[in-house]
Amino acid sequence: MKTDVAIIGGGPAGLAAAIEAKKHAKVTLIERNEELGGILQQCIHHGFGNFIFGEALTGPEYAEHFIEQMEGIDVMLNTTVLEIDKNKRMLLSSPDGVFEMEAKAIILAMGCRERTRTQIFIPGTRPAGIYTAGTAQRLINIEGVMLGKHVVILGSGDVGLIMARRFTLEGAKVEGVYEIMPKPGGLTRNIVQCLYDFDIPLHLSHTIVEIVGKRRVEGVFVAKVDENFKPIEETKRFVPCDTLILAVGLIPENELTKKIGIELDDITAGPVVDEGMETSIEGIFACGNVVHVHDLVDDVSFSAIIAGREAAKYANGRKIKRRKIKVKAGENVRYVVPQIINGRDMEEITFYFRVKKEMENVVTRLLVDGEVRKEKRELIVKPPEMVRLKVKGDLVMNANSISIEVKKVA
Amino acid sequence: MKVEKKVEKYARKKGWKVKARLEDGILYLEGEVPSYKEYVEIGRYAGKQKNVEGVVNRLKYKGKKEVKRKKGGNELIGEADVVIIGGGVTGCMIARELSKYKLDIILVEKAEDVACGATKANNAMVHTGIGEKMGTLKQKLCVEGHKMYEELSKQLDFPYEKNGMWIILTKDSFADMPIPSFLGNFIARFIIPRIILRRAKKLGIPMHIVKRKELLKEEPNVTSRALIAVYSPTYGVTSPYLFTIALAENAIDNGVKIMLETEVVDMITEGEEVKEVVTDKGRIKARYVINAAGIYADMVAEMAGAREYTIHPKKGSTLLFDKDYGNYIKHSMTILKFPRMEHYKGGGAMLTFERNIQLGPTLMEVEDREDTSVTAAEIKQIFSRFSLLLPNLPRKGVIAYFAGLRAATFTEDFIIRRAKKVRNFIHVAGIQSPGLAAAPAVAKMVVGLLKESGLEMVEKKDFNPYRKASVVIRELSVEERQKMVEKDARYGKVVCRCENVTEGEIVDAIHGKIGARNIDAIKRRTRAGMGRCQGSFCLPHVAKIISRETGIPLEEIKKNGNGSNLFIGKAKCLLEEENEN
Ligand SMILES: Cc1cc2nc3c(=O)[nH]c(=O)nc-3n(C[C@H](O)[C@H](O)[C@H](O)COP(=O)(O)OP(=O)(O)OC[C@H]3O[C@@H](n4cnc5c(N)ncnc54)[C@H](O)[C@@H]3O)c2cc1C
Ligand SMILES: Cc1cc2nc3c(=O)[nH]c(=O)nc-3n(C[C@H](O)[C@H](O)[C@H](O)COP(=O)(O)OP(=O)(O)OC[C@H]3O[C@@H](n4cnc5c(N)ncnc54)[C@H](O)[C@@H]3O)c2cc1C
Repeated sequence: MKTDVAIIGGGPAGLAAAIEAKKHAKVTLIERNEELGGILQQCIHHGFGNFIFGEALTGPEYAEHFIEQMEGIDVMLNTTVLEIDKNKRMLLSSPDGVFEMEAKAIILAMGCRERTRTQIFIPGTRPAGIYTAGTAQRLINIEGVMLGKHVVILGSGDVGLIMARRFTLEGAKVEGVYEIMPKPGGLTRNIVQCLYDFDIPLHLSHTIVEIVGKRRVEGVFVAKVDENFKPIEETKRFVPCDTLILAVGLIPENELTKKIGIELDDITAGPVVDEGMETSIEGIFACGNVVHVHDLVDDVSFSAIIAGREAAKYANGRKIKRRKIKVKAGENVRYVVPQIINGRDMEEITFYFRVKKEMENVVTRLLVDGEVRKEKRELIVKPPEMVRLKVKGDLVMNANSISIEVKKVA
Repeated sequence: MKVEKKVEKYARKKGWKVKARLEDGILYLEGEVPSYKEYVEIGRYAGKQKNVEGVVNRLKYKGKKEVKRKKGGNELIGEADVVIIGGGVTGCMIARELSKYKLDIILVEKAEDVACGATKANNAMVHTGIGEKMGTLKQKLCVEGHKMYEELSKQLDFPYEKNGMWIILTKDSFADMPIPSFLGNFIARFIIPRIILRRAKKLGIPMHIVKRKELLKEEPNVTSRALIAVYSPTYGVTSPYLFTIALAENAIDNGVKIMLETEVVDMITEGEEVKEVVTDKGRIKARYVINAAGIYADMVAEMAGAREYTIHPKKGSTLLFDKDYGNYIKHSMTILKFPRMEHYKGGGAMLTFERNIQLGPTLMEVEDREDTSVTAAEIKQIFSRFSLLLPNLPRKGVIAYFAGLRAATFTEDFIIRRAKKVRNFIHVAGIQSPGLAAAPAVAKMVVGLLKESGLEMVEKKDFNPYRKASVVIRELSVEERQKMVEKDARYGKVVCRCENVTEGEIVDAIHGKIGARNIDAIKRRTRAGMGRCQGSFCLPHVAKIISRETGIPLEEIKKNGNGSNLFIGKAKCLLEEENEN
């Protein structure tokens, strides 16, 4: 089988990329699940699309907007991409068969997976009743089963917060949300709407030090942590519960990416991309959570449109120059996407980045060849909230050095 | 001095009141010690004495929990020539071996599946025997068992590979000994390897010395502090649960009856003979009884009036790494470090059949026979111990950890013999490491014991030594895969994304001879949920497939045994409950 642009993953990233690419090329979208929409299908809360649609939709509603526009795209459901190679040949497995597909361009849009209990080294037993937040969400919202009565949640990122509310609405008692950092990980609106409105206690600078229970979770030991995140023994206490929800972070799903040697960014755990969302292998693009974890789906859709457009152009034979100028993460910047500027002819480029520490009254700025070329004031920047800086494309097109930094306003 | 006196004196010196009695080679301890720690200490001391074949430790201490026995069922549920208690690798191997003969055999297992005890939580090494104490029964059986694996794996179609093992000596090997480092290094380089080779020769195990330079060329991630290595090319690795399932399935094919979720709670004896084995499901008439109950073997023996040893569980925890690190080392490896802990091979970095590195195991005495928790201290200990071997293996590579309990007796060797006073009861106890490697030889030995005790054993003409594993899709070529999908579309649907397990394979596991009924049973058979996401992705799918194929409602699906329910009901069930109140 042959196609122009093959897209791996039918979440919001894959959908938006497909719709854009379709305008210029033959597109095939491959999704391993039985439905399109990715993680959105299980997010039945409101809060999607404030930027794009100007209203807070539910996840499935947001997805529906895109799914409606899939006409003319070859969609393959229940189909998993097992392997890809540098020549853009893929091996697919589906109930219709196992076959190869060759594409002129590929867009990676596989999303991410959740970090598990092991990856943060929580000691103890391995009983039933421990779920990652996304799995819990799917089980309750899609499969229609209830997981427990007394719930402890580890991690105060948005996913954890939303699940705290979900459990409460389902009639369970959320004993508390525990967060190892001194500040909550999620958006402020979620802290208010998901915890405060339901009187759910949030314990900052706390972690779980042991899971107890043989067959089913019987409780957890929690403890306060010191400034080095080491649990303080004297503060250890037992919290009885039958369910532990882990919302301890997402990891971009880059197993396919890794296997073919695409360059990965150590910090984002996603591929290094240029302003056109192209990876280090020509003709292989990436967008959405597979590149870096996004807070808001709107940003996923925006970056996917670029990937879709550029991939289609590539498939149609356009050649670009590759200047490979690194975007440096300057003062108080943990990482920036795109990591590379190749000098594509683009009207606008948005830099997405996260800060290392919280700061109020700052200016985020773009430095080109040592000079400030763009500045933007922000009232506050926090590590959990992605920051954007939109600049004109020609500002960086011919740059020899580029960096992004965050400075306190004097 | 008489053994009893010696033990009593030892206790007296410590201020404990202990009475010892030696009868028929068995040393019985009674009295009181302060805590479990001392209970173990004196037990081990007693176990080391000459002419002691078993230590029955009845010492009391504060907080000692008495295990309550379940109630037995009254109904007669079976009758057999041989009843085997325990469906671990030992019990299943014995069942398969005995199924070669014209016998009625019943195997009872209290868990919901076979291979749920130590057999599912070990390091999967088919040891050659070089690491065991010279002259022990376990060494003898390990050497023999190891040789039988190749043939068995061909007959029964389970994973087995001779992947080899490095025994490595480094500048740290003698660092904790009170000798100057030049001397330590000298012993490490020139003495120890020769001792190992001499033993290997005696045991008929091929081994050779590999110089530092060569070792580091082969294994660039091994510490540069390495001095020398001894390599064992025939060291093997298997999958302990797939092996055990294969044994059980083949035993069933040859007429053995396996009763799961059936716990032995008592025995009816008459004179010097067990007449019936009482389980929570009912009674089984038995001509011979084989005790392969692992960590509970002493309690089972007590039911038969044949308590001749006490088991003190020794926990071992292991960290498991992502397959991404599968080529980080070529072969399994261990570091020799002195002084050596008693009855502990020391662990290492061992490759599973699927090339996950296992780091561990630890060794820790635990009182609770169900304690398979992994503690923070153990995790720390593993990293610090094995950073002496692989200093740069990153922590973030760990995808899972688990613990298993070694069913150690105080005499520490395997106890495989006829009971002293009960004519038809056979102990297969104290089967700690290398119990997996030794299992085939253990089973042969049990056949001998049965013959000795008068059971007439006639070989079956129609014994079928072969068994086919169900298909593993990820191991097939594209063409073969395609053929499978044409046969059944479900072989095309990938359910576990980390290990690439298809729906078809999960369905096969559910409808197998010992059908999987829960998430962990599926995991052991197919690897679904064993990868880096640890089932976050496939759990909902696997649960639904089990429900669909078995008719068990989704909300009743379990992780493993009773009480491990994943769900408490349908969504909204709590709200409905509230409304009713
Ligand atoms: C609990 C939760 C709450 C959230 N709340 C909000 C919110 O309120 N507002 C908001 O704006 N954002 C929210 N988000 C974030 C938003 O949903 C994500 O950023 C977005 O869904 C990411 O889109 P994606 O397409 O990159 O990934 P996904 O949605 O994860 O889609 C990836 C798709 O790729 C498929 N796939 C992966 N590998 C393969 C393969 N090998 N072969 C075939 N298919 C494959 C997967 O099945 C999946 O369908 C939330 C996220 C979560 C988890
Ligand atoms: C950490 C660790 C690592 C190890 N690594 C290795 C290795 O690499 N190589 C090696 O050769 N060996 C190794 N071993 C040892 C090996 O795992 C054991 O020797 C072996 O699994 C013992 O098998 P078993 O069948 O005797 O016991 P088990 O597997 O424990 O089986 C006993 C069974 O009896 C059942 N049972 C108990 N009481 C009753 C009752 N009353 N009624 C019914 N059923 C009952 C239990 O449920 C259990 O299933 C290791 C052990 C540990 C703990």
